[in-house]
Amino acid sequence: MKILLLSLMACVTIYIGYVFSKKYKIRANFFQALVMLCQKFDVEINYSRERLKNIFNNLDEKQKHNLHGIDNNFISFINKENPLEKEFLFKNIKFLKEEEKDVIFMFFKSLGRSDVDSQSKEIKNFQTRFETLSSSAIAENKKYGSLSIKLGIVAGLVIIVLFI
Amino acid sequence: MLEKILPNDIYDILKNKVNIKSINEIRMREEKPIVLAIGSQRIFLGERGVTGNLNEALLSSKTMIEDIIFRASECSIYSVNEQLKRGYLVTKGGIRLGIGGDIVEESGKVKTMTNFSSINIRLPHEVKNCSLSAFNFLLSENGILNTLVISPPGAGKTTFLRDFVCQLSERNYAYNVLILDERGELDLGESGSIGNFADKISFARKTIGFENGIRALSPNLIVTDELGQKEDIDAVVYAVNSGVSILASVHSDSMESFAKKPYFEEIIKNKVFKRFVLLSMRNGPGTLEGIYNENFARLHI
Repeated sequence: MKILLLSLMACVTIYIGYVFSKKYKIRANFFQALVMLCQKFDVEINYSRERLKNIFNNLDEKQKHNLHGIDNNFISFINKENPLEKEFLFKNIKFLKEEEKDVIFMFFKSLGRSDVDSQSKEIKNFQTRFETLSSSAIAENKKYGSLSIKLGIVAGLVIIVLFI
Repeated sequence: MLEKILPNDIYDILKNKVNIKSINEIRMREEKPIVLAIGSQRIFLGERGVTGNLNEALLSSKTMIEDIIFRASECSIYSVNEQLKRGYLVTKGGIRLGIGGDIVEESGKVKTMTNFSSINIRLPHEVKNCSLSAFNFLLSENGILNTLVISPPGAGKTTFLRDFVCQLSERNYAYNVLILDERGELDLGESGSIGNFADKISFARKTIGFENGIRALSPNLIVTDELGQKEDIDAVVYAVNSGVSILASVHSDSMESFAKKPYFEEIIKNKVFKRFVLLSMRNGPGTLEGIYNENFARLHI
């Protein structure tokens, strides 16, 4: 019984470590998806003048997955189903800091509001900011992502050693 | 489409307290009352529907105007910049927004329009059979006579052109019709019909549209809206010389003032157009005032 309980506690600590590491990975993927979104916008807006809704609808599944529903929330604003509000745009997203949400919200608020030249410049400006956020998220993931799992395993082992 | 571009509260009032089908225009100016054009009447929009009382009228705000233009562009202003440069925007269902604001010029060319301050939302109407009373006068044994529809703005020129094309199809006149829709108003898409024998070139200047259309689509008839510039007249002459019939429209309130319009003297003198259809607002949009031949002699009414 004691061994079973200790094993269970060790599993829990490892799981907590895994959850923390996953958060870093999600953040890295999310910012990478935003950078790719900017690149796609820049091409579509400059060459085909494609409308925003079509651009969002034509994103591949992986990119949609990594954007965690932010694309669908924006489409529902385009469809006039919801207002463009920060709370609504980031509903179900818990891995972003407030200042990061502010930058992303400003990006979405600027979409579709100006002519090609101005829109393209704005997108490039936001792309630079997202690249910076992406770089630091990737660095965080490398540094703390694997560390979290390792700490979880170590904590699990410590519990087993202490209580045996 | 109107529900997609107007603010919800304004659309709800129009839907529940005004007959939307009766509205020809909705005019919004920054911090001024919203004005509806219903028939030949101009009237304010209030919370309880139409009103003649200025104090009850709802005011348009700058944000409201900007948001309507944003919505009308399907939230993609950059995709409609070529239209904005010319001061209008046409939605998918043929609703035309005339736009007032600041023109931004660069190196002597219009770059875009910003700081929107007013809009005139023109709602298209399909008035079935509105061209019927003129229909037979515009046909001859050899085909369709070159025809110019003349009327002041908002008096039903575009509706007439659209219905005429539809009537041709319904009566199985299998002419290949090319609709040169410079402003995107002629084809209403799902909500209106242009028949089974019509091709369409949209948002192209007339010179380009006529040349490409004649080469690529070999039309028997070209239908186009609002001739006005010299290059439009040159395009018409090019088409007529290529053996293509023309059905076009022009702004003017009478045959006399039309005859004085710049650039038209030559084609009037050369009798390029064989028929003139004069419309007015006298009994509401589309009132047929007369049909004239190439010598300006009245044939009907």
